[in-house]
Amino acid sequence: MENNFSAENSLRLIAETIERSRRTIAKNSGKPLILWGSLVALTAVVIYILWSLTGSPAWNFLWFAMSAVGAVAMRSMMRNSEKVPDTEISRTLGKIWMWFGIFSTGFFALVWAAWGVRCAVGIEGPLRVDLTLVILLMMGLCGTLSGAVLKFKPITVSSVVATALSALFLMVMPDGSPVRILTFAILGAFALIVPGVILQKQVK
Amino acid sequence: MPENEKTFKPLDPLLHSELRLAVMSILIGADSADFVYLKAETGATSGNLSVQLDKLQQAGYIEVTKGFKGKVPQTVCRITEHGRDAFAAYVEALRSYISAGNR
Repeated sequence: MENNFSAENSLRLIAETIERSRRTIAKNSGKPLILWGSLVALTAVVIYILWSLTGSPAWNFLWFAMSAVGAVAMRSMMRNSEKVPDTEISRTLGKIWMWFGIFSTGFFALVWAAWGVRCAVGIEGPLRVDLTLVILLMMGLCGTLSGAVLKFKPITVSSVVATALSALFLMVMPDGSPVRILTFAILGAFALIVPGVILQKQVK
Repeated sequence: MPENEKTFKPLDPLLHSELRLAVMSILIGADSADFVYLKAETGATSGNLSVQLDKLQQAGYIEVTKGFKGKVPQTVCRITEHGRDAFAAYVEALRSYISAGNR
């Protein structure tokens, strides 16, 4: 390789190498978005159908099955995809979504426990917690933060728009109706799948 | 002292090489990177990359760890504190050349 290159060329090489490396890492972030977006949208539709047919909200436990399937699929995807180094960006993204998982699972468990306690002590009336809205807002926030960390506007914009649209959809739908679960299908499609596909196509 | 000697900082000859500079640019933003990734990102041949990694390691700019991932041999490179300082000094020196050229 040529040794006598100019100062401008050296700086250009540094900038280009760092940018290429960033794009490789960004490209690899697209696949998990598509995977989780598809799983979320599909699970929401399946739960909606089963809940509508049976009238039982217990089908919401399928979210746990979705998490397990997603984790296995992620492992397989990571094994087969291009090996990229860990960076501050990839670590931050991992932490954002890890805390989303912990908070949403924890909150779900908390609501379930609260419902159990209320039943045990004989408190009547419905438990007034909009679990769907809380998880939706957390997911929208994590998506927006991911876009900001990756410096990739389509993710930031689509997360904000999808969160606003799905929150609006949720608020106009009747309380307790299975149709409310379709909010996650909207969010999965527009906040995860669409930016994931854009990321895959643009970062080449 | 001539004016240009005051203005220009010396360029580290070890970093003033396209491939070694590319490797350091990748490692500066990553915790570590394996040989296969470095080869793909720089487009270098295995032989040339090995030689340049060896030079960077001997200068104490990077650490090279050889091991196995499963049954596959893996060479992982990581930038050292000394390497970070050298890279920062190199970029600073480049800036002095460019700003002098723009005057």
